[in-house]
Amino acid sequence: MGLMEKLSSWLGGPAAGREITILVLGLDHSGKTSLLNALRPPDRRVTSEPTLAPRQDNFTFGGLSVVAVEAGGARRVRALWERQYAAASGVLWVVDAADALRLAVARDEMQLMLEHPAMRARRLPLLVCANKADLPHALPPTQVAAALGLERVTDKPWHVCATSAVSGAGLTDGLAWLTRQLRDLHTDH
Amino acid sequence: MMARISRWLDVEVGTSEIHMNTLPCNIALVDVINDNEFKLLVGDMGIGNESPKLKIFRGTMQISDIVLPDIPLGVVSFYASETMPRPPPLVAVAFSSCIYIYRNLKLFYKYHLPSSKIEESETEIWEKLKDSANEETVIKLSKDLQSLPHNLCCQSKYFLQMSTDQKLEYLDSVEVPQKELTEIACLTTMKMRSTEKMAVSCLIVGTEEGEIVVLDPHTFTEITKAKLNTVKSEPHQIVATGLFNIDYRLTVATRNKCVCILKRDWKEGRQLFRTEDHIIAIEVMEFDKSIMVICCDKTFSCYSKKGNKQWWLQLDCHPVAITQVPVTHLGVTLVAVSLVSGHLNLYDGKAKRDSMFIRDIASVIKFGQLGQEEHVFTIITSTGNLMLKILRRTANFTAHAAGIETSCPTIGKPWLIPKKSKLFLEQSMRERENAKAMHVTFRHELNRLRLVAGKTLLEAYTKSDNALGLGALEPVRLAAEVQGLGPIFRMTLSIENTSKDRAVIGLSILFHTYATSYKVTNPYIKIPLLSPGSKLKFPTKVEEIFTNVNPDIFFRTVTGQTEGAMIKVLLLKEGKPNPVLSAVVQMPPTDPMMVPYDKIQATGFVE
Repeated sequence: MGLMEKLSSWLGGPAAGREITILVLGLDHSGKTSLLNALRPPDRRVTSEPTLAPRQDNFTFGGLSVVAVEAGGARRVRALWERQYAAASGVLWVVDAADALRLAVARDEMQLMLEHPAMRARRLPLLVCANKADLPHALPPTQVAAALGLERVTDKPWHVCATSAVSGAGLTDGLAWLTRQLRDLHTDH
Repeated sequence: MMARISRWLDVEVGTSEIHMNTLPCNIALVDVINDNEFKLLVGDMGIGNESPKLKIFRGTMQISDIVLPDIPLGVVSFYASETMPRPPPLVAVAFSSCIYIYRNLKLFYKYHLPSSKIEESETEIWEKLKDSANEETVIKLSKDLQSLPHNLCCQSKYFLQMSTDQKLEYLDSVEVPQKELTEIACLTTMKMRSTEKMAVSCLIVGTEEGEIVVLDPHTFTEITKAKLNTVKSEPHQIVATGLFNIDYRLTVATRNKCVCILKRDWKEGRQLFRTEDHIIAIEVMEFDKSIMVICCDKTFSCYSKKGNKQWWLQLDCHPVAITQVPVTHLGVTLVAVSLVSGHLNLYDGKAKRDSMFIRDIASVIKFGQLGQEEHVFTIITSTGNLMLKILRRTANFTAHAAGIETSCPTIGKPWLIPKKSKLFLEQSMRERENAKAMHVTFRHELNRLRLVAGKTLLEAYTKSDNALGLGALEPVRLAAEVQGLGPIFRMTLSIENTSKDRAVIGLSILFHTYATSYKVTNPYIKIPLLSPGSKLKFPTKVEEIFTNVNPDIFFRTVTGQTEGAMIKVLLLKEGKPNPVLSAVVQMPPTDPMMVPYDKIQATGFVE
């Protein structure tokens, strides 16, 4: 546990307990930064330049204090994702639903993540955001789920939701599912 | 070969509505609106009643098409202007004797190749032909036409291959030819001043007359024009390498079994080599300019840039297409060859690294950025389907990964040992007989050599006393070289004494850095005596320090760095208050993948 996390647990966060880390992953230009921006108050928003170094931020979802670690999605920094896996309690996977060409790449990257030793055989909730749902050629969430091969993920609870980072639509539903899952998991312990 | 996971990800394409009939020259990957999302442009020749079209695909989806007036002979895209922000690239489509230029996918200019005048003798015969409706005269005049010494125009050629009845009928409908249009055979582009992605390019046109014409991208006027070969050879494919304003090579495959080359300032190209059978396609490798050729005799061969055959492979069946597959992050450039059997093989040199079976014949293959993905294999099959394959991030093409036994080729071959010559036998005999005397002579000579070396050194040493004290330090040269990806770099300083007879003593090196940016393991190096004409190397470790890192380090480029990235190297001379030489070394940025992990974490907090 890092110093910051210790401090916040002493001070008593909203959950008055340990903080939960979720990873925000996905290909470059899928809208990870924009999606998190939609959750921030306007004065805390960050610029939407391509993210390279992992960025951490604290959020409160449904009374649960969550540290969202957002990693860069560019091809050459994807190899750095695995450094974050051990600390993660949940994954928020952002996919560009309007980019049909790269769904195959997103599928491959997701499979690599799920098969990683630090992730395999762990019951982590996986929330898939079919982002950019507002665009004309965006695929519906069911097709995105099929293209990502989610039906074959049996060891983790997963959920797909259509989101739009521009308007923030669909995000609350997805996060409600994620917090429910996280709370269930952490009250068991 | 063991079963393994494919290196390629298949992209699902709705194949039912895509039917394309195209050729390798009619396909281009273009960033149409400069948003770094590359579209696929296909010059479709049309099937049956369908007219030729230029089809534009966004990923797997066709987003629009433009009806073309004729069968396309080549589709290329290029940047014509250097203004900022860069306007989107132009698209050029070649037809029989003209080139249509599209801007923002709207027709914007039509360029016609200059027509040439027809020889008077030929027009005279045509005038006579028009006048006579008599069968006999037509036969006689046809013979006259055939016996003309110069190259006939298209109309004459067409006329001569008809039967007499057809000729009579044809004569009623045609006019006397006045000018001959120059037909285009192939089209390509070449960057003019810089190799940047968006640098301005000129158009290169190969004509049926066997000429290569270079067109200016602004004015569409001829900049240069040259004959391809001493004998007339029709170009079939041009590959341009280099820059037009600096130096370039045009490697041209012709229809008469030879590859020609045309360089900057040449008035006429020349034949580089001949092949045994007809050439299907060529590819010129970026790094060594070697030429890969696939031929009708089922061979895949490699020629050096000088035209020497380096190796060749006999393929299982007819090759169809060839393309270069540069995988920059792995540092390899592969060559893909598609075969009639439906296989698509990838070669690194002559070693096969990968093979894909795609069930259909891949008639057009291209590798490059499509959409936002850099490594996409675009395949159009002979049945007109579009296939897309994306290279996996984890793929690699080493011999081990390819499942190929790395058998050393020398094992099977005997060593190349020359036969024992008479001279050798006599020499060995002498050596056995006079071994002692020979050794004594050798020792004597060696001692003499040592004496000479010692004397020379002493002389150089005595002369060196004040060589530097006089102020002139021309004979000493200092050079630095930096290697590594960081954060620990290896800096090698080489100090050379170029003087012929003077040695240098009492030198030392001092590093001067910003203590916050770099740490030098050995900041002060004492240099021993530098004998005349000698060179010494001093490797030192330089470590970049990350104390207050911010994400900016990821956006650093090699140029335009802060002052902190400078390291001063001072050359000091004993007894002199000022440094005698100094050099400034600009350190390259540390590769973000090499930055220590705990330092990255430090940047993770958003204030």
